[in-house]
Amino acid sequence: MASLFQQSMPSTGPGYSFASAPTHHSSSGPRQHAFYPYTDNGGSTLGISGATFTILAGDTRSTSGYNINSRYAPKLFRIGGDGPENEGARIVLSVVGFAADGNALKERLDTMVKMYRYQHGKEISVHACAQRLSHILYGKRFFPYYVTAILGGLDDEGKGALYSYDPVGSYEREQCRAAGAASSLIMPFLDNQVNLKNQYDPASGEGLEKVMRVPEPLPQETVEQLVRDAFTSAVERHIEVGDGLQMMIITKEGVQETFTPLKKD
Amino acid sequence: MDALVAQYSQPSHSAQDTTLDDSLALSSKIAPPLSLNFELPPIDSHSAWLRAMTDDHSNPQCPIKIAHGTTTLAFRFKGGIIVATDSRATAGNWIASQTVKKVIEINSCLLGTMAGGAADCQYWLAYLGMMCRLHELRHKRRISVAAASKILANLVYSYKGMGLSMGTMCAGVTPTEGPALYYVDNDGTRLAGNMFCVGSGQTFAYGVLDAEYKYEMEEDEALELGKRSILAATHRDAFSGGFINLYHVKEEGWVKHGFMDTNPIFWKTKLEKGEFSNVTSKLE
Amino acid sequence: MVGKDCVAIACDLRLGLQALTVSNNFPKIFSYGSQVHLGLTGLATDVSSVSELFRYKVNMYRLREERDISPQTFANLVSSSLYERRFGPWFVSPVVAGINQTDGKPFICGFDSIGCIDFAKDFIVSGTASDQLFGTCEGLWEPNLGPEDLFETISQALLNAVDRDALSGWGAHVYIIEKDKVTKRLLKGRQD
Repeated sequence: MASLFQQSMPSTGPGYSFASAPTHHSSSGPRQHAFYPYTDNGGSTLGISGATFTILAGDTRSTSGYNINSRYAPKLFRIGGDGPENEGARIVLSVVGFAADGNALKERLDTMVKMYRYQHGKEISVHACAQRLSHILYGKRFFPYYVTAILGGLDDEGKGALYSYDPVGSYEREQCRAAGAASSLIMPFLDNQVNLKNQYDPASGEGLEKVMRVPEPLPQETVEQLVRDAFTSAVERHIEVGDGLQMMIITKEGVQETFTPLKKD
Repeated sequence: MDALVAQYSQPSHSAQDTTLDDSLALSSKIAPPLSLNFELPPIDSHSAWLRAMTDDHSNPQCPIKIAHGTTTLAFRFKGGIIVATDSRATAGNWIASQTVKKVIEINSCLLGTMAGGAADCQYWLAYLGMMCRLHELRHKRRISVAAASKILANLVYSYKGMGLSMGTMCAGVTPTEGPALYYVDNDGTRLAGNMFCVGSGQTFAYGVLDAEYKYEMEEDEALELGKRSILAATHRDAFSGGFINLYHVKEEGWVKHGFMDTNPIFWKTKLEKGEFSNVTSKLE
Repeated sequence: MVGKDCVAIACDLRLGLQALTVSNNFPKIFSYGSQVHLGLTGLATDVSSVSELFRYKVNMYRLREERDISPQTFANLVSSSLYERRFGPWFVSPVVAGINQTDGKPFICGFDSIGCIDFAKDFIVSGTASDQLFGTCEGLWEPNLGPEDLFETISQALLNAVDRDALSGWGAHVYIIEKDKVTKRLLKGRQD
């Protein structure tokens, strides 16, 4: 559901393969509009939920076209909590796409989560927060936020909860999700390693008789290593991903943040 | 003469615009507007702009890709209504998800299906669920499927031309109507019927469904037919696939009959029943 | 994909017209001589034409030279043949895989539609699922894999990549090429 952006390389760049050859629109093509309020700031995010934790990760490069705006522009935000640093927050939002829209979205959701606490005297549940975010996104159905969001936290039973969104607010709870420029590189790898897609139990028979392996929640160390592997792979093959890897691990103790350098080329 | 020519030679869209505005103004006088407050871009032609930004069919380079692609079906038979869907969401050729829940449980007796824009269907069917609950509270009885589908049809009609994309079916059983099935889409079309398939894989599903459908089917036959029709569509349509979501709507309410991976079902159908002989299972 | 003294090449089996799957048994790998394999993705009519064209050219080479063509020579043949159509290209992006019989070294390379060669030490991808393949190959591949491990790696890389592309899949063929033997296998892939 959460539809992902095909990576949008500037079509005026040097394209030599027929698949990526620049296409010039003549007057018969789709109508071009002078009003273009979006920039694709590139980058990628990824979230995986486990039995007692949720990990969200994002690279910290911000690009526009072939230029790098910043090597440290975080895409992960704590939602709720106290003070300017959102201390004690238990929900994390990751946004990728157009950074300004992402920032506006974060501010709106953060405000709403804080208002909820002042009005109801308790923390919002991730489930409720997820639905609220969907409605915020759909509120701009006719002038969308150019973002793909992933929301992570712990559900009422303490299990990892991960919600992924498309730009206009359709959402779904999932085990893992990659979004942004390199989502098409990362997602099939995650299908294989987290959801054990296309993996069969070797002892269960021969040929067509083999039985598929059943995915189980992974331990935290395994997931952290998978996230690092996914990003180092994406950095090799996608120009909009790199510089640094920001990770937020949400457990019942709170949100723990780590930073790992990535290649800066 | 010139005036006459001018009257009939103006572009058809401008003529349409005036009638559309008039009818909208008229409808808002009769009933309170269903439209909620949505933010609009600060330009005149919202819908053209939105199409340029989000419609990957007319503009494959559009920056915002909205999830599409589907096969959904529902049919009436003597034991109630069968509702079945696939679970794939695609953005262009990219498979965004294989686990979408395209059957939306509006309440314990009413189901909606989802084809077209995922967010549009999710949001407005949830909104419909709210309206149905309010109807129950106001009138102390459950809403009829006809009325529920009409709320939705009127609603999407009030947004006509704005770029909503949904092809949905409302299925339910009520004491007054019996099993009732309605098709509602973003043009404002609302049709009652015995059998509908909606989405990019609809033709493939109709192929199987039309060949095997009988009103006097038993429950297990009907469930199997729903499943088999979706399976055929997932096989031939690139934009359908994933899991088969199967529901049976009865007088007492709906019953879920599973969210089943198509892959094992496909191979079982092929190897045990000998169907799908076009697929090779041996290297020649 | 390159392994230790072996290479592997794999393709899916779908032939489609946009959303409609027309055939699910359309292999895209063709062998020339005992060790050289060519994978072709792109416009189906050109895939057939180009594969036949190279069958002709390689047979002519064999008649003239009285030996099998080496993968390196074949790669240069592909490159120059594609560039002949510089201003009206074949709509294909080929991949060559083979083992050089003189030194026993694995060789793979890829091309754009007009013949620019991309030599690689690890893997080459092409087609509608190339982004997904870049991700899975980069994540799963490691140097010096033996033939069986290489088979598992390339199979997982391909199957998981095509399962995220609406226009690819419906089964797959895998060739494992060693110095004195080629193993061809059919993979059971998702049929949706």
